[in-house]
Amino acid sequence: MLQLTPQTIRIVNIYDDGTNAKHFTFEPKGFVHDKPIGIGQFFMLTLPGAGLAPFTYTSLPDENGRFNALIRKVGRLTENLFSLKEGDVLGYNGPLGNGWPVEQFEDKKVLIVAGGCGLAPVATTIDYLINNNRGESVTLLYGARDLGSQVLTKERARWQTKITLCETLEEGADNAHSGLPTQHLLQTIKEYGGLPSIVLTCGPEVMMKAVAKTCIDSGLQSSDVWMSVERRMRCGVGLCGHCYVANSYACKQGPAYRYDDYLSLNNKMVSTQQHQGAFQYC
Amino acid sequence: MLNHSYLLKDLDILKQHLAKFYSMVQIEKDANGEERWTDQSDPDTVGLFGHKHLPSTSPKGFLFAEKEALYKFDGETFESITPQVVPKVLFGVQACDLTAIAYQDKFFKQDPYYQKRRENILLVGIDCESPCTNGFCAEVKAGPHVNDNTADLVVSRLTVNGSNQLAEWLVIAETEKGQNSIKGLPLDKAHKAHFILRNRLLDKMRSEFADYSYINNAIEYLNDNAVPQHLWEEMSVRCLSCSGCTNLCPTCSCYSTYEIAEKQPDNVISETKAVKTETLRVWDSCLFEGFQREASGHNPAQQAAQRVERFWFHKFSDEYLTEFQRYGCVGCGRCEQTCPGTIGVHSVMKRINQECCS
Ligand code: SF4
Ligand code: SF4
Ligand code: FES
Repeated sequence: MLQLTPQTIRIVNIYDDGTNAKHFTFEPKGFVHDKPIGIGQFFMLTLPGAGLAPFTYTSLPDENGRFNALIRKVGRLTENLFSLKEGDVLGYNGPLGNGWPVEQFEDKKVLIVAGGCGLAPVATTIDYLINNNRGESVTLLYGARDLGSQVLTKERARWQTKITLCETLEEGADNAHSGLPTQHLLQTIKEYGGLPSIVLTCGPEVMMKAVAKTCIDSGLQSSDVWMSVERRMRCGVGLCGHCYVANSYACKQGPAYRYDDYLSLNNKMVSTQQHQGAFQYC
Repeated sequence: MLNHSYLLKDLDILKQHLAKFYSMVQIEKDANGEERWTDQSDPDTVGLFGHKHLPSTSPKGFLFAEKEALYKFDGETFESITPQVVPKVLFGVQACDLTAIAYQDKFFKQDPYYQKRRENILLVGIDCESPCTNGFCAEVKAGPHVNDNTADLVVSRLTVNGSNQLAEWLVIAETEKGQNSIKGLPLDKAHKAHFILRNRLLDKMRSEFADYSYINNAIEYLNDNAVPQHLWEEMSVRCLSCSGCTNLCPTCSCYSTYEIAEKQPDNVISETKAVKTETLRVWDSCLFEGFQREASGHNPAQQAAQRVERFWFHKFSDEYLTEFQRYGCVGCGRCEQTCPGTIGVHSVMKRINQECCS
């Protein structure tokens, strides 16, 4: 049977990490992680009295079971979350879903394109590759609205010397770094050693689609591109129905989808094929 | 099957017997004259029975509750709230609704709340005797006779032209649970002849359905992705997001969650400092505009056309066959009856068929 009732976690640390974003550290209370947590998986948080929503791990549990999550204030639930303090308790259900296929990376050249808070779901991947002495094979193209909106400040500082890191800003950057990450994609590929073997992208859905298209136009297979799809979620275990992508549920088959799978799912729905969402960083 | 088949003169005998062990749920008219599945029904009340009385609401809510508490928080820890159940018999469920229950059994296989209710329910199915108003169960293989392995007991009237020398009712125990439920009831064994008669009646009834071939034509067009975008748009203009179809549809399973909180008496600042809270779930609908809207405002199903297409995709896409071995639609026709925008199943499938074959 599935377990919908959450386990209890305690907030042990909170710090500001970008405009309207905070980085939380949680600690299990009265339980130990009994399942290994895959890179790119997510968890559901229950905020008693306010609701439940999905969040991604920005770090895997340490020896005390502590893990991190980057959370942007976007609605009522996160507003409530931001009013909590160290020591407060929350509900936790995880790990859930399918993450990135890190086992397929081997010695491949990896390009990661992230937009806004879309950096959070790729953070554990970057750390994983660095920890496996693969940092040199990683290029991260990270786009945000402006300097203040950039998240994972500490992580990026740590990554700076270990991977190739390019950052773009919609506002307030010099010409070479101004605009959307998609506008810099070809240049980035050219400058940093040519076509990657695998691409991970996470951010607004239109951005991810544009990234995939550019990469495919440049010669990559659609099966070389992976994306992490965001959906409203009310259960995380394939029951509530909210997170559908055609006949799949993002909480089960996703949130990481191989682009060709995502495309064939979307192509099953005539009206969804036609509908292009707006570009909006979260 | 023959091994566990019996004959019965009066259905009331069976009902009174089951009422000794189960709380009775049957179709009754309520104060407004509406036919409903009625909980804790008095077994002496004569229930409404068969194809003439397919209630506008299916018995789905007895298994997948319209609203239920999932867990509670006491300020420190979370605790599951297990549904309080008593053994119930759903007496006289039609084939379409039984097929829907079998479908939901698969969908909710791992759902502890659903399963807790399900374990305590005995399903007594009934073979329909002629087509109901909007039903097209035969077209989607959900009826009109009870499908194998969808009920614990099946009752089938063996009356031809008002009389029958063989027996009044055939009773088939399809599961062990069904078999146990009639233990101690003195019943004669049925014979092959009774099954032959049952099949003859089924053939006769099948021939009485209107020509619903447009349903299966439209299913094909849907799966070929041949329905043009403009048709989805035209139809979706009529969707008022009332959720009538999804509530009445016996296979719709989507839900949302919400919290109720008992706040600290003098804490007026923060909602989050609730001492005790409960998390509930309640039926939801993919036809609601905000069904997929994320906190950021991004909505992958922003257009009404997408939402309407979603509903029909979930009912008729071949993509679900591997998981459920059938379509999500069981042909009950309730959405046709209820939809204020007249985009229920017949209207939609007719339009798709017309548009695509022209
Ligand atoms: S889609 Fe309509 S006809 Fe089909 S099962 Fe649902 S309510 Fe009944
Ligand atoms: S997605 Fe829509 S059609 Fe499918 S079960 Fe949920 S409410 Fe019903
Ligand atoms: S979040 Fe409930 S089905 Fe995916």
